[in-house]
Amino acid sequence: MPMMDAFLFVGLPYVAMVLAIVGCLWRARHLSYGVSTRSSQFLEDRRLLWGSAPWHIGILLVLIGHLLAALFPRVWASILTSPAALLAVETIGVAGSVLALVGLALLIYRRITSARVQAVTSTMDLVVAALLLAQIIVGLMSAISFRYGAAWSAGTVVPYFWSLLTLNPDMSYVVDFPMLFKLHLIGAWLLVLLVPFTRLVHVLLVPIHYVWRAPQLVLWNNARRRQQAVEAAIRAESRREFLKGAVGVAGAGGLLALGVSEKTINFFRGPRPDSETEAAFLQKKLLRLQQTAQERELELERQRSERILIARYAELDPSRGRYFIDYNMAPGLAFKGKDGLPIVISAKCTHLGCTVSSEANADGQILCPCHISYFSILTGMPNPGAPAKLPLPQIAWALLDASGKTVLSRKPGQPIEGSADPATLAQCSLYITRPGRDSA
Amino acid sequence: MTAPFPPSPLRRAALLAAGIMLWLLVERPARGYAEFQQYLVKNSRRPVNCAFCHSHSDGPEGTAAGQIGHLTAAEQAELVRARGAFEPGQKVSSPILNGFGNHIIHALGKRRFLELRQAPAQLAEALPQDSDLDQDGIADAREYRDGTHPLLRSDGNPWLIFRFNFANNLPQILLTLTATVLGLWGLGHLLRAFAAAVHRDENTEPEH
Amino acid sequence: MNLPQTIQRAEAWLAERFPVGKMNYASMVRHKEVPLHRLSWGYYIGGLALFFFLVQAVTGLMLLFYYQPTVSDAHASVEYITEHVPGGALVRNIHAWASSFMIACVLIHFLTAFAMKAFARPREVTWLTGVALLVITFAFGFTGYLLPWHQIAVNATKIGLQTIEEIGQYLPGQMADWPRAIKEIIQGEASVGQATLSRFFALHVIILPLAIAALLGVHLLSVQLHGMSQGIDAPPRRMEKFFPTFFLKDLRVWGIAFMVLFVLGICLPFESLFAYPLFEPFNPKGSTPDGIKPEWYFFWVYYPLELLPFWVIMIGQGLLGALLLATPWVFRDSNRRTLQLLAIAAGLYLVLMTVFGQSIYHLFKG
Repeated sequence: MPMMDAFLFVGLPYVAMVLAIVGCLWRARHLSYGVSTRSSQFLEDRRLLWGSAPWHIGILLVLIGHLLAALFPRVWASILTSPAALLAVETIGVAGSVLALVGLALLIYRRITSARVQAVTSTMDLVVAALLLAQIIVGLMSAISFRYGAAWSAGTVVPYFWSLLTLNPDMSYVVDFPMLFKLHLIGAWLLVLLVPFTRLVHVLLVPIHYVWRAPQLVLWNNARRRQQAVEAAIRAESRREFLKGAVGVAGAGGLLALGVSEKTINFFRGPRPDSETEAAFLQKKLLRLQQTAQERELELERQRSERILIARYAELDPSRGRYFIDYNMAPGLAFKGKDGLPIVISAKCTHLGCTVSSEANADGQILCPCHISYFSILTGMPNPGAPAKLPLPQIAWALLDASGKTVLSRKPGQPIEGSADPATLAQCSLYITRPGRDSA
Repeated sequence: MTAPFPPSPLRRAALLAAGIMLWLLVERPARGYAEFQQYLVKNSRRPVNCAFCHSHSDGPEGTAAGQIGHLTAAEQAELVRARGAFEPGQKVSSPILNGFGNHIIHALGKRRFLELRQAPAQLAEALPQDSDLDQDGIADAREYRDGTHPLLRSDGNPWLIFRFNFANNLPQILLTLTATVLGLWGLGHLLRAFAAAVHRDENTEPEH
Repeated sequence: MNLPQTIQRAEAWLAERFPVGKMNYASMVRHKEVPLHRLSWGYYIGGLALFFFLVQAVTGLMLLFYYQPTVSDAHASVEYITEHVPGGALVRNIHAWASSFMIACVLIHFLTAFAMKAFARPREVTWLTGVALLVITFAFGFTGYLLPWHQIAVNATKIGLQTIEEIGQYLPGQMADWPRAIKEIIQGEASVGQATLSRFFALHVIILPLAIAALLGVHLLSVQLHGMSQGIDAPPRRMEKFFPTFFLKDLRVWGIAFMVLFVLGICLPFESLFAYPLFEPFNPKGSTPDGIKPEWYFFWVYYPLELLPFWVIMIGQGLLGALLLATPWVFRDSNRRTLQLLAIAAGLYLVLMTVFGQSIYHLFKG
């Protein structure tokens, strides 16, 4: 029934809020001594203690939860994505509600059985008590039947509430809720409406400053009392400090447990990837293992072979060097010289060991990018003033033709052995030869 | 003493790969485009290598994994398909390009990309401005201008990354701050309780 | 010489440095007081360094569960931690940030201890263990840096170790080869590779922690026995109780440090302060990327190495080391004002060379 819904979820809230605000203002101005609960503690205080304390503690816990969700919905929702946090919050909520329920039940019992209290009870007191009882019961039933309201309320009830406050009422958030929960909403607005007309007006007088009010000192006149007072003060102070300490540490511990424990457990549990991620992972590891295997093969080759192939002669270029790994597993470069003969030098910079780049510039120099040294390809000498002082050493090479016969070879510092014409050379392959051995 | 000949299987494979590479180079020349790298280095003053757009940090030419000389038959087919994507809108997965490189071809098309070689600075405007491939809160176009890698979540302008992560993790930070403040406050009072119980006078601060 | 008398003198010396008579509850907790003066902030820095070390120990232990110290898997295991292990990125980032914070704290602590003349008798043992701890902390940084096995890790380590080899050119004859041999012992093989990674891992994870635990034990025992040093020349007029006042303030400093570390760890990956090519897996056959430098805490010696002749740095380092070890005796009679000026000068040099080292280098070398 849209009309009924509109009344209950838009009309009633606005009426309630306006009446509450106007009513409280009027009452505070004209009936300021009336802004109280007209406490009956003087008349009956035992049952009041056992009823009022749990009621107030419980309902305050629950209301703080409601308030946090209303004021900080996004932060609230994001904290509650952690299952541990959600469980903790819901548990506190249910515990608070049960506490409040028990306290309220005792208070109602007190009010309807104690003669003295009845003498100062008005009808509205009973109405308020009944409404509160109903509200708590309905709320508790909603929390249990529609689990994890702490989380879903942030996306439904809270936006509805703010839509009312911003004068842009949108009841579509709540009209589809089950009747049980709608009753809870209606009950809430009724209670708001009743605030200025009943004892509920005492919520305006929250005595927060009790928390930090300094303890009252009593000055005694006789010495014994004074001594007792000193001892009592020490006991009280240490008890106070201990309580504060325990609350602080317990609170921190609780928050820590909430935030950290789940993450730490998950850290040590390790990731549980799905099969696709697992496959991609294993693929990557396989690739790296293959690369390591290739490196080991290279090392083995350098241990075993007297000669290692670098490139075909036709692949050599005068200005673009080809990288290879020399017998020391260090990088080397092979160029084709202007005379057509290969130039084979170490590519490990003699300054601090960086790999020299392979592109030769117009002057036939290659650059080490780390600290800017230029090396001449032909002589291996660094440019004057370069950080590198020593030349790139030459590496012994040999050109072999298709049948394996050495056509040309050169060892560092020695002249070329053998001779060949360009046609033969074009069919040859370039090898490096193991240093320190005479060629066969 | 002569070398063992013919060459070992590894050398044979390397020769074959080199041959394929040579064929590709001759038939369909391809280069890493140095203009973009030069622009990036000059504009952002950060060292940037070919891994910005390519799979291998030294570029597409060579015989290592992610370079032209190391492709399987299936990968070569993908490469040829990617090279033909001249118009935007074609999803390509060239084996020599990384996710960002493929994204450029997909969003711009090869023709426009080749035109941008003359004006590499304009690549940033040509890219879709709302794309953020690594989800680090910095748009790819901005990462291109800053010279930070668009596929690495941990690479980006430090201040922007900090702001983005701070906003995302604010609840965690607040929770930790509360726990720390509460814990220290509590510890302080516990110690004071201990000191008070032992009944020593001290000139501690009176409150908190 | 009179042996019994010498031994008695040695015993008296030791007894003064380790007054174990004071190792009781009354002197260590109840009556201990801390001077309040304008340099009192320096009393917190040592504790802060300890805090960061504890953070490193915890995060390091957690990383140890997943890290693999082989050249084929090291980089991949670090990637695994960062990308797949829940919370791994945070643990790793905190470990990286806290290492820089720890080293910075240790340096500041060193300078403030010097300025406050905290090495004066009977605190010489505290100072000497402190110098050893300083060296160990730098060793932690150097060995840990290699473990991710990316480009800057391996190349910076190579460069660092190369400087040892360079000493050889100044040694005569056969001795010229010793530095290279020493370098290869440290490396484990001819060039930085698996052997180097294995021994740096062993050093970083067990040998240095054992050493630091032992030295820290002696250092902290000495501090607890002797109490906080005077700090300024004039006898301090105000004192506060160590327990609970100073202790609480110390805890608050730890709390702030923890929050800063946590926020940085969760919000700012340390890699964003460097260029990405430096963190690619080490590739011995490819080119070396631009911008290879040692970590910032080595800049105070790295840039001078680049600017000045090697023998200058060699002799300078030797003198510095000798001076540090001999400080309690060399500066025995100095007043604290002089020491403060020296500490400020040293601090200024460290800050300027670290922050502006690159610009200074370019100023001279173009």
